[in-house]
Amino acid sequence: MLDVQALPLPYFLLRVRVAAMEPAEPGQFVMVAGANRPEPYLRRAFSVYDQEAASDGSLVISLLGKVIGRGTGALAACLPGERIPVLGPLGTGFHSVVDGASESGRAALVAGGIGSAGLGLLAQALARAGRSFDFFYGGRSAEDLVEAETFRLLSKRTGGRLVKTTEDGSAGERGLITTPLEAEIRAGAGYTTVCTCGPHGLMAAVAGIAAASGVAGEAATETPMGCGYGACLGCAVTLKNGGYALCCRQGPVFRLDEVAW
Amino acid sequence: MSGDAARPSSPDLSTRVGPLRLQNPILTASGTFGYGLEFAERADLHRLGGLVTKGLSLEPLAGNPPVRIAETRGGMLNSIGLQNIGVDRFLSDVLPGLKDLPPKVIVNLFGYAQDEYVRLAERVDPYEGVAAVELNVSCPNVSKGGIEFGHDPEILTGLVRRVRSATGKPIVVKLSPNVTSPQDLGRAAKEGGADILSAVNTFVGMAIDTATMRPVLSTVRGGLSGPAIKPLALRIVFDVAREVDLPVIGIGGIETVDDVLEFLLAGASAVQVGTALFRDPRTAERLVDGLRERLRAGGIPSVDSLIGAAARPE
Repeated sequence: MLDVQALPLPYFLLRVRVAAMEPAEPGQFVMVAGANRPEPYLRRAFSVYDQEAASDGSLVISLLGKVIGRGTGALAACLPGERIPVLGPLGTGFHSVVDGASESGRAALVAGGIGSAGLGLLAQALARAGRSFDFFYGGRSAEDLVEAETFRLLSKRTGGRLVKTTEDGSAGERGLITTPLEAEIRAGAGYTTVCTCGPHGLMAAVAGIAAASGVAGEAATETPMGCGYGACLGCAVTLKNGGYALCCRQGPVFRLDEVAW
Repeated sequence: MSGDAARPSSPDLSTRVGPLRLQNPILTASGTFGYGLEFAERADLHRLGGLVTKGLSLEPLAGNPPVRIAETRGGMLNSIGLQNIGVDRFLSDVLPGLKDLPPKVIVNLFGYAQDEYVRLAERVDPYEGVAAVELNVSCPNVSKGGIEFGHDPEILTGLVRRVRSATGKPIVVKLSPNVTSPQDLGRAAKEGGADILSAVNTFVGMAIDTATMRPVLSTVRGGLSGPAIKPLALRIVFDVAREVDLPVIGIGGIETVDDVLEFLLAGASAVQVGTALFRDPRTAERLVDGLRERLRAGGIPSVDSLIGAAARPE
């Protein structure tokens, strides 16, 4: 690991050098744990928020995290130079948006708090592809919009903009991020895709808005995971067709209209 | 002998478990490594002693609704509900890719009724690539079947006897720890014609989310696995190995070379590694290397010499 950057509490950014790992696709994740700590027992899933190839051929990945429990706490407590286990890249990312049939028109990216970590590589990919997107960033408070400046600059490069809301009104409009999303769609923003990552309630609401307005989209979901690579079968996501899919393999990114929210 | 003298630094890891001859005593446990093949890129399957498949039923099963797992101190609870592709798809799509690998393939079988175990055993019997069947009579996560067969000695004897008549494959019976005396069930399995016992399956437990004030798992109860259960499992293996005249495969929270040695010393002829694979898919092969290194360093010529040593009088 290269360094741990303390962001405004309770957020943190880990930069990890991984010797042999394929670059992650937008929406893919890695399983990580603190160094030499027997507890908590299982690794934790982290979206690859950012990545760059180092000159020696290794890959440097950035993991944007929020201390919630023992697993994230152990990671935030890592020291620069410590070796930590990394397994990845894992899962299925934002395929249909990045290189799928809907590769035209504008996109809306909707993040709730730390869910922004799951949209980092996607925002970069869209910016590289010159595809315009607006970034909707909601949180409880201003501190939860921890990477607002990054997403403001990326969306701006594509001719789009950053829209913020907070529940306490400390940044952007007071309220939920779905309110300006709906307003923009009604006003004719011309989105052909909406991609979201955040709390379950937010993603369910975005799925509803997308369905009502006939916009396709995807969500990077999250469930408790045992292994992250398809062995434990613990991370079932219930689909509309009544079946289950594994968050770690068929997901974490699913079409908005296939998940039973 | 001359081989030993010529290569004193190369301990013999091979082990005999009843009719099974394994290249080393490290297997992957049922339900912790799928059907093996799908993880060929994440682990070196060639180096395993054996591989026990995810529990197979006659028809594919979708499994339980989420939430299916809950992390606990030193382990986890699971309630997967035997999600699997069904025995026919395993035999047609997976087994061909596994059968020529060095690890022995043990097929874990699960039924809701005795008749289903019999039909499963009949289905796999003609396949040369199946080294043995392991009967799951101790899954805590399905409401009917399974665990009933593993908690009543008379029923278990009858079930094993029926499976015995359906297949010539070695029969492994996986014991439940959720009974007062697992060795009684072990004896019952032997009476029915079992060749090997594996011990133990998960311990029934639960977890409650203090924020929602509700059980974490959708099925309320689940099976506890991981290092937390190791001393409990070790005690059962010790008792079963001493009191039942069948070889035992030890299972329960195994993650380190010392864990492997403890189970061998308690009387296990081999071990299955399970939950530790979730932390690191290379755990099993690491243990093969670590065990070889430990035997070499200790001047111990073979795995065989360790088995049951802790149960012998001083």
